[in-house]
Amino acid sequence: MTEVSTSKTPYVFLTLGVICLLVGSYVGLFIAPREEYMGDVQRIMYVHVPTAWNWMLAVIFAFGCAIAFLFKSDFKWDARMEAGVEVSVLFALLLCIQGSLWAKPTWGVWWDWDPRLTSVAVLLFASLGILALRKFVEDPLKRAIWSAVATIIASVDLPIVYFSVKWWNSLHQQQSSPQTVSSAFHLPLRVNAFGILFLMIAFIMLRTRVAAMRLRYETSAPPLVAEGELA
Amino acid sequence: MIAALSKELLLQWRTRAQMLAVFVFGAASLLLFSFAIGPNTDAMRTFSAGFLWLGLLLSSTLTLAESFHAEMENRALEGLLLLPSNPRALYYGKAIANWLQLAILGVMLVPVMVILYDAGPKQILLMLLVIILGTAGLSAPGTLYAAMTAQVRAKQTLLPLLLFPLIVPALLASVKATSLAILGDPMEQSRAWLGLLFAFDLIYWALCGLLYGRVVEE
Amino acid sequence: MSGVVVGGWGFVWAAYGITAAVLLIYGVSLITRLREERARAAAEGEPR
Repeated sequence: MTEVSTSKTPYVFLTLGVICLLVGSYVGLFIAPREEYMGDVQRIMYVHVPTAWNWMLAVIFAFGCAIAFLFKSDFKWDARMEAGVEVSVLFALLLCIQGSLWAKPTWGVWWDWDPRLTSVAVLLFASLGILALRKFVEDPLKRAIWSAVATIIASVDLPIVYFSVKWWNSLHQQQSSPQTVSSAFHLPLRVNAFGILFLMIAFIMLRTRVAAMRLRYETSAPPLVAEGELA
Repeated sequence: MIAALSKELLLQWRTRAQMLAVFVFGAASLLLFSFAIGPNTDAMRTFSAGFLWLGLLLSSTLTLAESFHAEMENRALEGLLLLPSNPRALYYGKAIANWLQLAILGVMLVPVMVILYDAGPKQILLMLLVIILGTAGLSAPGTLYAAMTAQVRAKQTLLPLLLFPLIVPALLASVKATSLAILGDPMEQSRAWLGLLFAFDLIYWALCGLLYGRVVEE
Repeated sequence: MSGVVVGGWGFVWAAYGITAAVLLIYGVSLITRLREERARAAAEGEPR
């Protein structure tokens, strides 16, 4: 396997990401006007919506890597997929927390079975299952193939889950879930979106390196004599 | 594939005592669920569809894991791969056998549901159809994941962990449709749910069959 | 929904704060994990 990259690019993305998030959050928290009906609580959307966009990207990325691995059998795709799945778990967790913090003051309940958020929760559990699968399979090739298969199956399921929950929910709730941001102020949204995007890119790059190094370790033959242990 | 299917059915017939045990497990689950709601007959009838499908889902983890037990015992999985038949046929044979087993289990649990929850289906045909389509949805990905997890250390935990999030749409649709069969369907909604189930089955029977070969290759 | 949602700043701070904390902790853990992997690779004489 080729050398694992040591470029500084991810750190550049980390820095850019943090800067964007600081700027976007500042604008969203202090400068953007208070929303008409939702009040200040709507400011959560300035970080919730960007997280949601990037979560979707992470899921699609993991899906793409899974397919790439099944076709190319190159372990770098397995490393990338592992990174993608883990980052999507991270963002899904954040989405559920942010969504609950928005829902409580808005609807009075922590969870309102919104189809989008519910789909995130389902895929969160599916992704945790994939990570668990990876933990329990020792053979790198089997682990790669199986988790790729599981990732593909889970990703294909996402739209189906979304529509089924939407129908399921529509029978009971007539509310139109106003989780969109009022059109007046898009700036913090966009800036935060880039912020989280840059962070995500950095996370995936770094996490891929970790996975790649571990794979190298697993697939390399053990040294005949350990360093400094000559008989 | 017919050969694979008949082998599976023969195996199931030989181990039918195990099938009975799973039925008892399912019935016991339904009993336990009723304790969760309390002896309120109306509430129990309202939720009976959910209980039925939860019971079926839990039982499916037993039957699905069992379906690869024979192979694992004798390392027969690898032996089968050496035969000229392709793995896809093997997969469909097993998946159909599992489907049959789960559907029969579902039908057997209906009278239990009727007795415990006073939940007699008003539309028996619809009920049957939902059980057939719903268990198909459980069987396709279930058989695939059972093949994977049979070879892994923590198999009992991994199979449900992987399967349950995946079949959420099938579960939702089956419970809704069953509920309509029991409580009445004034607005003819069952068609939509059956459609969703059918689409889910179509997609996953195709996708899992496609991927199975990669899962069992050496 | 009737009326305006008043206040709720606590939730807003919690949301931003938790998001920042989670992202920070994950980033740091990644860098730490990477350092560990490199250290192990170096110790075993693998080509870095």
